[in-house]
Amino acid sequence: MSEPRIHGIVFGGVGGQGVLSLAQIVLEALRRSGLHALQSEIHGMSQRGGSVHAQVCFSEVPLSSPIIDEGCADLLIALEPLEALRYVAMLRMNGQLVVSEEPQVNMEGYPPLDDVYAALKKVRGCHLVDTEDLARKLNHRQAGGMALLGMASKFLPVPDAVWHDVITERFAAKGARVTEKNIEAFNAGRGLVQEAVGV
Amino acid sequence: MAQGTLALGVEAVGCAAFDAGIKGAFGYPGTPSTEGFEFVEAMIHAAPEGRVAQWAANEKVAYDLALGVSYAGHRTLVTMKHVGLNVAMDAYANSALTGVRGGLVLLVADDPGMHSSQNEQDSRRLAKFAWLPVLEPSTVQECYDFTWRAFELSESLQVPVMVRLVTRLAHCRAHLVRRDVLTPTGLGVAPRETIQDWVLIPSNARRRYVDLLAKQPRMVEALAPMNRLVAGSGRQGVAVAGMGRAYFEQLSLEHPELKAMPRLEVAAYPMDPGLEPAFLAQVDEVFVFEEDYPVLEERLTFQRAGKIHGRMDGSLPRTGELTPRLLKEALSLLTADGKPASSLDLPIRAPRFCDGCGHVDAYEAMQEALRNLGVPDARVFGDIGCYTLAAQEPMSAIHAVVEMGASISMAVGAAMAGQTPSVAVIGDSTFGHSGLPALLTAADSGVNVTVMILDNRVVGMTGQQPSQALDQVERMVLGMGIPAAQVQVLTPLPRQHEANVKAMETALQHPGPSVVVFRRECIQSIRRGVLKEHDQELKACAEQACCSTEARP
Ligand code: SF4
Repeated sequence: MSEPRIHGIVFGGVGGQGVLSLAQIVLEALRRSGLHALQSEIHGMSQRGGSVHAQVCFSEVPLSSPIIDEGCADLLIALEPLEALRYVAMLRMNGQLVVSEEPQVNMEGYPPLDDVYAALKKVRGCHLVDTEDLARKLNHRQAGGMALLGMASKFLPVPDAVWHDVITERFAAKGARVTEKNIEAFNAGRGLVQEAVGV
Repeated sequence: MAQGTLALGVEAVGCAAFDAGIKGAFGYPGTPSTEGFEFVEAMIHAAPEGRVAQWAANEKVAYDLALGVSYAGHRTLVTMKHVGLNVAMDAYANSALTGVRGGLVLLVADDPGMHSSQNEQDSRRLAKFAWLPVLEPSTVQECYDFTWRAFELSESLQVPVMVRLVTRLAHCRAHLVRRDVLTPTGLGVAPRETIQDWVLIPSNARRRYVDLLAKQPRMVEALAPMNRLVAGSGRQGVAVAGMGRAYFEQLSLEHPELKAMPRLEVAAYPMDPGLEPAFLAQVDEVFVFEEDYPVLEERLTFQRAGKIHGRMDGSLPRTGELTPRLLKEALSLLTADGKPASSLDLPIRAPRFCDGCGHVDAYEAMQEALRNLGVPDARVFGDIGCYTLAAQEPMSAIHAVVEMGASISMAVGAAMAGQTPSVAVIGDSTFGHSGLPALLTAADSGVNVTVMILDNRVVGMTGQQPSQALDQVERMVLGMGIPAAQVQVLTPLPRQHEANVKAMETALQHPGPSVVVFRRECIQSIRRGVLKEHDQELKACAEQACCSTEARP
């Protein structure tokens, strides 16, 4: 007898980075892939640059708890390296992390960046993305989030067409050009993880 | 046509209220309740058809507005957070005696764990205090379904019905199945023969209180289907309510053996007093999982049968949020071994003022003025809003924050006790919320109190909702009886710093009450163009001189 597995994704970042909107895209993509999914968010004063944190749970059976227990998440998507470290203990042993290298230093006592990277590199399953470099190459200032999502998509049971549809609908109001740019960033992220996993 | 939508728990309540045919929605913003009102507001703006959605000056006003809609025979929703219900408590408790005509549903979002609140009080207790029903959903779909049920109950029992959410559910996003939308149909104003019911002079109130208590069995009966006893095997049972019910349900997916435990599932109060003895007869030991206060646990403990484990016996922590992990620990279920936490010291990334926020300039002017006047250990009374962030290091500019509006009254009290200078800091919206009566007292007191009103033209903290005091602050201050000579309006900008310091010094030195208004619009509100339309209208108005522009300072 096997119990239904409940999967968890943790999102971490800083207010204003789009953590919640990433979580919503993932929630909708999972739902459209025929899964049951719930999202939970903690964002007291999100515009004021504090830590923002969201979770998405999904399963093949209906769910009722939107919170993932420590040590039980499968995937961490972090828009900032220090925030990534905050949630490492949420991951199960073989969990994966996709993390932006770009720091947000809007606080006292941000540890030396090299220490942060070193700590992340020690974590098994960690994929660091140079989102700054990627944004430059794609000539799209906000490419980072979508690129991380593209990477993360490698670990999620969502068909390509569904990602494409959800992203397109999300940016529809902003015009075809913006949508295209975001799909491009998403695909670039997907490409990156192929390299990483391939090694 | 019924349809699906993605929504937060609080949004599901707002959505259900719209679908159930409300005529009016009212609220005061407060995390985590805010989005509930915003959702219904957006729906109403898209299809008004005679409906209104309006933020009120405070929760009591919001509640009174809703009560008026109900009196006129229509369904209505009123939203607030738990501490806001304290502000509306007078109206809420008395509406239990008047009763309602059109269905009145009160959404209250509690914040156990205090993610963004001053305390973690449990609104179920306040419902009991008022002798009113409260429904406690545990999923987003239940938020929607229970709200529909709340309207039906409100009309059949003729009392207001509370729907109580907690942060985790309020901010849980899920797919929602909606019902067909009802168009608001009015029952007409409260009929003549019920007029006395609505007039709470003692003779009527005494009669209505007896009526309210006599209604309790009917409430129990109407709510009975929402609470149930699930038989099981073994002498260990669980009693679950709200998120405790949700967490337990999910835990038993992963641990099917839990499904065999006898269960008491609670979703509404007042509950059938026979339910607990029936449950306790089946078990010797009970784990109680509910969010916030030990409401259910106290009831079970009162019955004194078997061992009751929960917040009171230390099986769960006495304070803070309930979590799935706490359930696992209480039930001694093994938890998975995850990755080790980072050994690096991770400093907290606390929220802070937006770059260029005018509040910072106002505080700097105040602090420098206090230093210049040689006040070594100034104690400043703060209030609730973005400007509360100044309590943190390194600014440490305010030294007491208690509840909405307390800054002014506390400063007056302290001045009466001899503290000088005595400074209060309050935002424009908080001033409109409950600073007004306090300022009336300040004006009347004659003591040396300096009230700084930080006017950013919106409710900054909760997402730039309109401030009821918009463009009216000085007129209100003058109207409260502060002499014009003691009222200054300043612009909190770095280049005004010297002038602002001087002005603050003058105010602090004045032996009687004085008010300094620092006005600069919230950066976020400018960025989002929240007041653009309003300001354009005002400008056009002034140009055409089509109406009095006296309101303009
Ligand atoms: S939201 Fe507005 S009021 Fe609040 S800190 Fe930012 S600029 Fe200041």
